Amino acid sequence: MTIASFDQVEFGDELPSFTPDTGLENVRRFAKAAQMMAKRFTDHEGARKEGLPGAMVPGVMSQAILTAMIHRWAPEAALVKIDTIFRAPVMVDEAHEVNGVVTDLDEETKTAEIDLTITNGAGETRVLGTATVRLP
Amino acid sequence: MILDLHSHSIVSDDGRAKVPNYCQWIRKKDLPLDGFVLTEHRKFDFDSDYSALATEFDLTILKASEVETEYGHVLVFGVTRALTEAFDFSDIGLPLAKVLEESERHGAVAVPCHPGRTRVGMCAHVESLGIPAGVSIVEVFNGGSRGTEDDAARALAETQGYRGIGGSDAHIVSHIGRCATAFPGAIGTEAELVEALQAGEFEAKSWKSKSSESSS
Repeated sequence: MTIASFDQVEFGDELPSFTPDTGLENVRRFAKAAQMMAKRFTDHEGARKEGLPGAMVPGVMSQAILTAMIHRWAPEAALVKIDTIFRAPVMVDEAHEVNGVVTDLDEETKTAEIDLTITNGAGETRVLGTATVRLP
Repeated sequence: MILDLHSHSIVSDDGRAKVPNYCQWIRKKDLPLDGFVLTEHRKFDFDSDYSALATEFDLTILKASEVETEYGHVLVFGVTRALTEAFDFSDIGLPLAKVLEESERHGAVAVPCHPGRTRVGMCAHVESLGIPAGVSIVEVFNGGSRGTEDDAARALAETQGYRGIGGSDAHIVSHIGRCATAFPGAIGTEAELVEALQAGEFEAKSWKSKSSESSS
């Protein structure tokens, strides 16, 4: 179900979760589009040489994935703010789940606050944050 | 009584949760919590008064601090104005011995948190600095732990004979109550919490996995 207006949203509502494509080829496409072709994003061996366990998803790609989730849930929503805390790398070629849940509503401004998380297969929170969205 | 002993609000620099929303969330999701403790980073929040909110939602809302030492982060329960003058809560390199000693002197309890975590947990520093004297309680379940961090915390507690507490370490609303601590009696004030911790009768709980875990 997609959300068309503020009146349809309730505290505690969960946004439809999904598993983003964080495979190496897709991450390379994003890195190329964003002109950030660093080996830590595009090459596992290159990332290991930099001391990482493997290639990681760029932070701005994680933010884009989270934002895309919000817009799939509420296509008419205006993203007022997105604020993320990167607790641990989102590793390329590992499965992750993206979740959002409504944790505050302001009827006066018709805005909703959403908790955002990206968790890996072990259930570890790799990225967390909040977004504020304005709805019609 | 079950209290989440480790949480952060927007008063902390990396906290994103407003306290009223924690209360709403606990009631909306019917969490098995009777309250929570706000352990703001590197400060004690003397200004906020949550008593009306606590009454409205029938929850115990207490305040404490999370300070930083050479052994990693440490929760301090029972903070008084005199204790905040005994050492600089904003110092990121506090000596653990001083935090433990001053806490005891001022009737507070200091508890190393997420000890299994890299850099900011006690286990990471034991090899180079040795086992610190004066620790009696550590956090064995932390809602933000990754991999085997909680296992390392529990192993440390077991080998050293520490009691274990649990806390969510929530920074966003929906993470409150992932871990907590069960006490046999009612707790309504910071002083009662200190008394209960000193009595040593509590059990750490975790609801991070589908089946809940306990560790005393």
